[in-house]
Amino acid sequence: MDFTYIMQVTKALMEGFGATLWLFVLVLVLSIPIGFLMTLILRCKIAPLRWLVNVYVYVLRGTPLLLQLMVVYFGINLAFSDYFHIKRETAAALAFVLNYSAYFAEIFRGGLLAIDKGQYEACKVLGMSKLQTNIHVIIPQMFRVAMPSVTNEAITLVKDTALLYAVSVPEILHYAKATVVRDSDMTAFVVAGVIYLIMNTVFTLLFTKIEKKMAY
Amino acid sequence: MAFIQVEELKKSYGSLEVLKNVNFTVEKGDVIAIIGSSGSGKSTLLRCLIELETINGGTVKIGDDYLIKDGQYPTPAELKRVTSKMGMVFQNFNLFPHKTVGENLILPTMLVKKTDKDTAMQNCRLLLKKVGLEDKIDVYPKYLSGGQQQRVAIARALMQNPEILLFDEPTSALDPQLTGEVLGVMRNLAAERMTMLVVTHEMSFARDVATKVLFMHGGEIVEAGTPEQIFNNPQNEKTKQFLAAAVR
Ligand SMILES: Nc1ncnc2c1ncn2[C@@H]1O[C@H](COP(=O)(O)OP(=O)(O)OP(=O)(O)O)[C@@H](O)[C@H]1O
Ligand SMILES: [Mg+2]
Repeated sequence: MDFTYIMQVTKALMEGFGATLWLFVLVLVLSIPIGFLMTLILRCKIAPLRWLVNVYVYVLRGTPLLLQLMVVYFGINLAFSDYFHIKRETAAALAFVLNYSAYFAEIFRGGLLAIDKGQYEACKVLGMSKLQTNIHVIIPQMFRVAMPSVTNEAITLVKDTALLYAVSVPEILHYAKATVVRDSDMTAFVVAGVIYLIMNTVFTLLFTKIEKKMAY
Repeated sequence: MAFIQVEELKKSYGSLEVLKNVNFTVEKGDVIAIIGSSGSGKSTLLRCLIELETINGGTVKIGDDYLIKDGQYPTPAELKRVTSKMGMVFQNFNLFPHKTVGENLILPTMLVKKTDKDTAMQNCRLLLKKVGLEDKIDVYPKYLSGGQQQRVAIARALMQNPEILLFDEPTSALDPQLTGEVLGVMRNLAAERMTMLVVTHEMSFARDVATKVLFMHGGEIVEAGTPEQIFNNPQNEKTKQFLAAAVR
């Protein structure tokens, strides 16, 4: 293996790095708040809303992300071909956000269930309202409890970005495969693997730091 | 007229009658020890008084206000006003783990009573000193012993300036060598004539500190009296059996 070739391959793959990173950040930034919102809906008094969110979470967690990605991209473009065309990148982002918000909803729900009922009782006997209780006592603890699972989910997301390949968004894997086929040399796959590993290491360190900050 | 009047209080869970017909009165400054075997309804009684459980019938009057009158609750706002006269200390402390000791104390007053931060902090330091923990103000609860956590919980309850404090087995979750420091704080409160209702298995506390002892059995107060009456000369068969087992 020669070093200049590796550098050359790395440079080629970095062309796809932007797409990968873009999807990663976008999905995290959107699906965490949406997931949290769904968790709040699961606790509201309006039964049909709760029912809707439950079905949503059930379906999106129970079917493959790859299928959802294809349904969103090809499905929307087939169904509405007369009216508009959804871009690959948009379709991918949409499918990922839909899928990941369902997972985050489930994670936050678990976080809420882990909170001792004594916390609610303490707030009540101190005279705090339900809203005050949720904002100051319950939700901060929920995020704390959920944080390790959120980190796990972020790591899965880094790897899941490779699914962009299925709708031909040029990301790391796309360039890796093109290079391997062109040069009949496996090096590009190894480099791709190393890039994913580095990304995950960086994100894990970052999330662990946030976890530590949130610890009490 | 007594400070707290409880008449024909009833509470059921479904078909299970947990409190059958509870009657008692409390004078200002009384320390009421509530004793009785497991499942006799002691916790439920306290929880009914502070609205953690819904009462199914009877009358509870606190000062001049009714918590419930002949099974009828007042408006939610009025109910909140009445329960705000009381504080409660739990068996397992229920401190907020994500807040420091100081924050545990000031957060509720600032939210509920809209106390400004400086006043709240001043009061906080005063009360922490009172329970002997002024040096722990910036510490998170998990770094405290059980006894220290319970003293913080008492200080937090006192921050709301309650007229009545309810304690549900405040020392039962503690190692035996830590119960003393908590009971000491409670003795001091008793000496200051704080009105307290204490569910306890600490017979020595009931004997030495209480002004009145209620013995519960099967959802009823079957015997009530001064500590001397209850401990030295119990009348009811159930009381005798319980004390014989408890004192050993
Ligand atoms: N939420 C509930 N639902 C149904 N039954 C309950 C509930 N809470 C308590 N009970 C029942 O009510 C009865 C009285 O319970 P309570 O906790 O008041 O007893 P206790 O005197 O405090 O006992 P312990 O000394 O064990 O704390 C018990 O039979 C208990 O099983
Ligand atoms: Mg109990």
